Amino acid sequence: MKNNLKIMRAMVNITQAELAERVGVSRQTINSIEASRYIPSTLLALKIAKVFGVAVEEIFRIEAGD
Amino acid sequence: MNARFLFPHRLKKWGWGILGFSVLLMGKLLLLGDGFDLFKINTHNAWLAFLSGGQSWVPDDLTLTISGALLIIGAFVVAFSKLKVEDEFSSRIRLESLQWAVYLSYALLLAAFLLLYGINFVDAMFYNMFTVLVVFIVRFHWVLFRQNRFARHEK
Repeated sequence: MKNNLKIMRAMVNITQAELAERVGVSRQTINSIEASRYIPSTLLALKIAKVFGVAVEEIFRIEAGD
Repeated sequence: MNARFLFPHRLKKWGWGILGFSVLLMGKLLLLGDGFDLFKINTHNAWLAFLSGGQSWVPDDLTLTISGALLIIGAFVVAFSKLKVEDEFSSRIRLESLQWAVYLSYALLLAAFLLLYGINFVDAMFYNMFTVLVVFIVRFHWVLFRQNRFARHEK
């Protein structure tokens, strides 16, 4: 699964630490999601999307083979 | 994101302290072959009492008993205390590390079954009692360390 979390963060100018605090996870978790080392749960994906005020699909998208 | 069945984070440093102390105790006993005088006491032996019909107190060294118990308690608290921020990612690392620990422990158990006999097998069993906790702690903290290193380069 690909994501454009880093771009979304840059657009609203918040750091990984700030995003992590707002969704209640560690900064390492946000870092791992951005690097596609970790796929978040539905709940966390929804929380992240809510921070940016967009639909989940605008941040996370399925790749062929997923 | 609830982390169930975990100790509070504040206990973790106590766990490290107990674990370190137990390693020192056990290290002295295993490397120097001698325990601590403080732990050398007479213990009751019911089997001896049955055989001798009277004498049942025998001198014993409880260093291994005490250090082994402290090692289990310390390692257990270290392994199963919450992180500062416990979330779904740390839960996944925890689960994977537990899987690693069980795999490795049973691989060693199988090897011991096939390759060791007599007192050597008993020795291997003794050390293998700690394998699950030790492998779990090492793997879990190694992965956390790597994640911290990755995250340090990003803002």
